[in-house]
Amino acid sequence: MTAAAATQSESKLLDVRYAGLPPLLRWYLINERGILGALSFVGFFLFWEIGSAAGWIDAYFFSSPARIFNAGVTEVQNPRLWSDLQISGTELVVGYVAAAAIGVPLGILVGWYRKLNYFVDPWLNFMNALPRVAMMPLIVLWVGIGIWSKIVVVFLGVFFTVVINSLYGVRTVDRRLLDVSSSFKASQWRVFTTVVLPGSVPFILAGLRLGIGRGLIGVLVGELYSSNAGIGYMITVSSQTLQTSRLLFGVLLLTLMGVIGVELVRLLEKRVERWRPKVGAR
Amino acid sequence: MSMAKLEAADVCMEYYQPRTGKRMLAVDRFCLSVDEGEFVSILGPSGCGKSTFIKIVDGLISATAGELRLDGKKITGPGRDRSMVFQDSSLFPWFTVIRNVAYGLECQGLSGKEAAKQSQPFIDLVGLTGFEHHYPYELSGGMQQRVNLARALAVNPQLLLMDEPFAALDAQTREVMQHELLNIWQQTRKMVLFITHQIDEAIYLSDRVIVMSARPGRLMADIKIDIPRPRHLWVKRDPKFLEYTDQIWHLIESQVKRTMAADQVVASRD
Amino acid sequence: MAAASTGEGELLDVRLAGVAPWRRWYAQHERLTLGVLGFVSVLAFWELTVQVGWMKRVFLSSPTAIYTAFLNEARAGTLWTNISVSLLEFLLGFFIAAVVGVTIGLIGGWFRRANYILDPWLSALYATPDIALVPLIILVLGIDLQAKVFVVFLTSLFSVAVNTLIGVQSIDIRMLEVARSFGASHLRVFRTVILPGTVPFMLSGLRLASGRALVGVVLAELLAANAGLGFMINLAGSTLNTARMMVGVLLLGFFGVLLGEGLRRVEQHFEVWRPKRQD
Repeated sequence: MTAAAATQSESKLLDVRYAGLPPLLRWYLINERGILGALSFVGFFLFWEIGSAAGWIDAYFFSSPARIFNAGVTEVQNPRLWSDLQISGTELVVGYVAAAAIGVPLGILVGWYRKLNYFVDPWLNFMNALPRVAMMPLIVLWVGIGIWSKIVVVFLGVFFTVVINSLYGVRTVDRRLLDVSSSFKASQWRVFTTVVLPGSVPFILAGLRLGIGRGLIGVLVGELYSSNAGIGYMITVSSQTLQTSRLLFGVLLLTLMGVIGVELVRLLEKRVERWRPKVGAR
Repeated sequence: MSMAKLEAADVCMEYYQPRTGKRMLAVDRFCLSVDEGEFVSILGPSGCGKSTFIKIVDGLISATAGELRLDGKKITGPGRDRSMVFQDSSLFPWFTVIRNVAYGLECQGLSGKEAAKQSQPFIDLVGLTGFEHHYPYELSGGMQQRVNLARALAVNPQLLLMDEPFAALDAQTREVMQHELLNIWQQTRKMVLFITHQIDEAIYLSDRVIVMSARPGRLMADIKIDIPRPRHLWVKRDPKFLEYTDQIWHLIESQVKRTMAADQVVASRD
Repeated sequence: MAAASTGEGELLDVRLAGVAPWRRWYAQHERLTLGVLGFVSVLAFWELTVQVGWMKRVFLSSPTAIYTAFLNEARAGTLWTNISVSLLEFLLGFFIAAVVGVTIGLIGGWFRRANYILDPWLSALYATPDIALVPLIILVLGIDLQAKVFVVFLTSLFSVAVNTLIGVQSIDIRMLEVARSFGASHLRVFRTVILPGTVPFMLSGLRLASGRALVGVVLAELLAANAGLGFMINLAGSTLNTARMMVGVLLLGFFGVLLGEGLRRVEQHFEVWRPKRQD
């Protein structure tokens, strides 16, 4: 907690006493964050690798970094992986886009009309709190075990998050700005496009960002529950055949999918929010 | 007696608390008249209902009793004949300066281009030439309030309402802004109703200072300020100015103390 | 526009005092009234569509059929076993995750070097869809209690740790300076500044975690179990007993609401010093 470093908008300023230290120590202190972070990663992977090579860790159950890497190399050459990826990706994209396309307008609508909001609030909260996995057997009953069951579960996972966040965004629009609009006798449509929409965009985007994680969980849950293709299916098969390395590689791929999705929404956020101060944002 | 342009007669704003059924009067039979080209300030301790009153004049809230007329026409809601300079941070953060200033004109149905064209002189008037395409967060507090002023002036209202527009500024910026406001007003000579809790601000700017009591807000005094215009900032050190200050402070001191005592009760109950 | 507020609670426009009593009652309880109305009308519509035959009973069952199934299950006693099994799994795992997560978060937030070491891990693992590991966990730990407890632990740990860490880091530096300037001991700084500032973050972390953990338990029970609500739903699904399935689904929903609402209450309780946001 020592306030050794003060930051300015341009570059980092350090306590002048740093200048007198030996170069190596100074370099370490300046880059301490990165060095310690990297060391902790490297140390962990080394421990894991050596542990499994020496037999302290059961490689059967826990694999090892080198094994996962090898499994990855083999898998990438396997056309089956690409079709699995494509299927999981399709499920995620279709379910997500549908949920966003319906959820955002609906959330705005419900947020704008107070009475409508009160009316649907209990069901929205209930559905949001319900672990949607529990509906998996029901969904299979509705649409079978094919790709549609996963799309539905992704949709349900993303939809309520998006609706609730959009709704909340509209509800928290700055009262003073609404006063300004009505003082100028702005039409309802103008109030909506110039105050409500821009004011709730950050919340809508936050909902979309959260939705990526929810959607990914939906894909996984759906595929783990019942499927014959997709990354979740690959994970299931790997666990049944005790191919832990392949299983962990699958988990890694899913994480990557999530990270890419979140970054895409972030890009959108950056584009839309030019009016927001950059310093200390988020 | 000359015909007053703005006439408020026995305006009341009363609330009630549903749980206890207790009634609370925020503004009590407030009367006021403002003439063409007059600069009038309403001065009162915080929470006295002066902001409520100006919102009633703008038409954002409707009074529970009483009547308001502007130019003989009854006020029932917001209108083109009035515009308000709001307190701080009431600019649209997602619009640039020019779009903020043009907002009122756009609301009147002008195209974006035309509204922007008509806004430009007002941006120049408040000294923000060159900042048209900046976002509010890139401006200082003083500059933001200039935009606020330009936005209100751009719709060319009969009556300019100002709700503590300089309250959030630091003392020095505030003085400069007061002076600039007078310069601008000198050029337009609009009827202005200005809300403030700063005694020197009210005296310096106004032709008349209306002193309001603590809640429920009642009219306590109507003081004509007899200091010639144009006024420079140094009139604030003029003996006559200080006399007005003393006079108003004596009126308002007991009211401020009453408000503070009431605040303490509220704070301890929470 | 009609309401202003002071320290004494909601104030309404005095003109409302004059209207008919039932309309005043409605104005004061609008939220509750409309909420109950919305809840009931959806149930009624659901029942109607099934009764009239617009929707097959096997797809969604109907509220009355679900109620009957609930009574049957409750009388048979299996329902209580399933509920208690799921509850035990959840509470055990959640409690351990709370203790471990808060500890990690406090350490990672307070000690600069610990933060440098932990931070990349926490962000990486926070982004990982940890329920993907459920098959592996079942493989290693079997289908009994310990596997589910571990799933709950894993799915809730990182939300709690990350939120606690952010809580510590977002403590107002001025408060720390005040404490230091008065010569407060480390323990006092912890008790008087860190803890009060961080508790709300911990609790919102727990609230987030509870949602994820619930998904974890149910998935684990769906995939491999011999008791629990997820098991019950799965069994009912394989025998096409929709009403019984819905009993489980709805119970889980109520549990989710209860958990979220309960944690929100606790959160509010710890935030009495924070000025209330005006709606």
